[in-house]
Amino acid sequence: MNKITVLKATDITKKFPETVANEGINFSLHKGEIHALLGENGAGKTTFMNILYGIYMPTKGEILINDKPVRIKTPLDAINNGIGMIHQHFMLVEPLTVLENIVLGLKEQGIVVDRKAAKKKLKEIAELYSLEVNPDKKIWQLSVGEQQKVEIIKVLFRGANILILDEPTAVLRPQETEPLFDILRKMKKDGKAIIFITHKLDEVMAVSDKISILRKGRLVKTVDKEGVTKRQLAEMMVGRAVLFEFEKKEKKAKETLLSVENLDVYSTQQGVKVVEDVNFTVKKGEILGIAGISGNGQQAIVQTIAGLRRAVKGKIVFEGKNITNKSPRYIAQIGINYIPADRIGMGLASDLSCIDNAIMRNYYKKPISSSWIINYKKSEEHTRRIVDMFNIAVADIFAPIKLLSGGNMQKLLFARELFENPKLLIASYPTRGLDIASTEFVRKQMLKIRDEDMSVILISEDLDEILSISDRIAVVYKGKIMGIADAREIDKNTIGLMMAGTRLEDITL
Amino acid sequence: MIYFEKRENISAKLKVVIPVVSLIIGILFGALAIVVVGINPYAVYKSLFVNAFGSWYAFSETLVAATPLMLITAGLILVFKMGIWNIGAYGQYIMGAIFSSYFAIFMPPGVSKPLMLTLMFAGGAIGGAIWAVIPAILKVFWEVNEVITTLLLNYIALYVLKFLMYGPWKNPKSFGFPLSKPFPSSAQLPVLFEHTRINLGLAFALISIIVIWFIIKKTNFGYEVRVIGNNPTTAKYAGISVGKNIIIAMAISGALAGIAGMVQVSGIIHFLQVKINANYGYTSIIVAWISYLNPALCLLSSILFGGLESGGYSIQISMRVSYGIVGLIESIALFSIVGAQIFLNYKLRWKK
Repeated sequence: MNKITVLKATDITKKFPETVANEGINFSLHKGEIHALLGENGAGKTTFMNILYGIYMPTKGEILINDKPVRIKTPLDAINNGIGMIHQHFMLVEPLTVLENIVLGLKEQGIVVDRKAAKKKLKEIAELYSLEVNPDKKIWQLSVGEQQKVEIIKVLFRGANILILDEPTAVLRPQETEPLFDILRKMKKDGKAIIFITHKLDEVMAVSDKISILRKGRLVKTVDKEGVTKRQLAEMMVGRAVLFEFEKKEKKAKETLLSVENLDVYSTQQGVKVVEDVNFTVKKGEILGIAGISGNGQQAIVQTIAGLRRAVKGKIVFEGKNITNKSPRYIAQIGINYIPADRIGMGLASDLSCIDNAIMRNYYKKPISSSWIINYKKSEEHTRRIVDMFNIAVADIFAPIKLLSGGNMQKLLFARELFENPKLLIASYPTRGLDIASTEFVRKQMLKIRDEDMSVILISEDLDEILSISDRIAVVYKGKIMGIADAREIDKNTIGLMMAGTRLEDITL
Repeated sequence: MIYFEKRENISAKLKVVIPVVSLIIGILFGALAIVVVGINPYAVYKSLFVNAFGSWYAFSETLVAATPLMLITAGLILVFKMGIWNIGAYGQYIMGAIFSSYFAIFMPPGVSKPLMLTLMFAGGAIGGAIWAVIPAILKVFWEVNEVITTLLLNYIALYVLKFLMYGPWKNPKSFGFPLSKPFPSSAQLPVLFEHTRINLGLAFALISIIVIWFIIKKTNFGYEVRVIGNNPTTAKYAGISVGKNIIIAMAISGALAGIAGMVQVSGIIHFLQVKINANYGYTSIIVAWISYLNPALCLLSSILFGGLESGGYSIQISMRVSYGIVGLIESIALFSIVGAQIFLNYKLRWKK
């Protein structure tokens, strides 16, 4: 195979006032290659991609495209050099059509758009890579997978030869992943070079040719996929051996801790039913997994349990007490703690210090507060205990929590809730955005709670996580539960079908 | 091309340098305006400074003007920290002045001074608090924007005051001027330093700053205020009653503005009239802002703006410039200080 180098980055270093995000990265990308960039959160993947795409300027280093040195100062420079980026959060205008989104901001476009020519070019691209979308549909009418296709077409339309995909599978259903990989393979065959950012090892093994591993801002190694195992990759990412399987002790089901009966919840704005006739129970010492594509009502269910949304119909019973529509504080005090999905939006106050964030659950209780004055010495001790116990990397507990990395913020939030010794811990996507080491830690903690006869409701999109941690799994689709099954008796495929709207009883095994 | 780049961190030095530099730039622009009207700007500024800080008497007048600014700003800091935009200190100040004047005007003669002043103090606090709690309740229960309601209540307060002054509360011996009858000496706040107008109100102001600092830094309530201000969703999640806290904080803020109104009529004017310097209510918004919502800095900025007020008042006479020029200088200074805050978060970059 003749290897034409299309992109070469040498000695890329990016220093920020407090940290070095990239240091001496040497990276080369060849024509017709899918190159996975693997690394934990905070390893410097995003910084490096932002440098290639002109969002940051490197402190040091050189980028060559087709053997010519270039200076990429803006995303426009990147596009002109044939680099296209598909962001994790799509950059599409929802009320406009596919075609309009694609021609939007095209330089060669005059005042009047030549729709016919544009449509023709769009069709050609779509056919070549099997990226079928209806050019006249509005973006909001498309599924997430289709929107992603539009993003890819947009980039190809601008003549990109180098495509950067930032965690493209994070937003997809399990069934949509394989078609995306097929598209990538077609593009590769056509001579495009693709950088694929991820931290999911299965995907790396499925689709990439080469793998570069980043750790702590440095490129640890670039390897061929052939002759490397998942375990080796994980070790390179984390810098030590990693546990994949957890020891889950066999337990007998005990008495019911929580039961949810005939629950209906409406959305806050439009008054649409987002949860419909939901029934389930959680037993003592059990982990109940709730699987489903995000936005199918799982947040509404748990937020209603936590007292943050109103149940319109139905009953929530905890330890025999009816707790339907009680206040969030009451619910926290009887032993239900909730880890929200979007921790910046709910759960943390990002401009306040780590201390202020760490005492959020007990600032009004002794010994932190003597009824109305907060004892900051005690608060500080409490914070340090949490930080030490969970090994959270905090430079200064008096500094705003937003200066921490996403993973450390999540650890602090998780630790704060766990510290309250909940009888029931509700964890929404507790490992989303966490690196391997932190993920392992959080999962172990959940299993530990279970061993101590406390219970967990785990919401996750990561089927491996749900399957390996939970005792029972409920799958939600459009606000309804498609079925609840024992985790040992269900497989990924069945869950995937249920996530797409098939009832468990309708699936013939 | 010139463009803005977001600063990655904001140093403490920058927090001082930027307002100072922008104030200097503001002063220079003000000078330009003074030149246009044909006066020597150096002489105006010199006179302004001398009249604000040049002598003990001048400084005492600066402190007199700074007193209501400190009281109002202390309260505004509390609500602004919460993300509640109380623009109504103007009206709360007027209501405080009206409620406290009621006692001064209508109590039978012979009431002891401590009782009279206590009643007036309480009246001022309650009057201001009522005027602030109305918009707070509207916000909490019906999500009515507090910026609009507090602003509109300012006009209502002003017209209530005008009604009283031209109508029922007018002194029959005032020759038709809209004034109340003069306050008895029992209704006048004691002067703290002889030959000045500095009165007990300054002590109220200093105490209020300390109390607000203590509330924000040390109490459960202050903690809740900070969490709500930073992220109301997180506050709800943490079980904090957002509505209750908004009402309490607004009541405190209104009460302090009302006390400022009481201090002005009881300590300085000694009767009630239409012109009771309620504009302090608006100036305090700026004072709170340039103090970075920090109670300690509010002491300094209040004195600075008190100096502008009192010095500006004096140069009308000494320099024969119209008060309009003073207002202009003040506005340009405010404009540049507030405008320059963008440089705290962003820096300018040049790129070819």
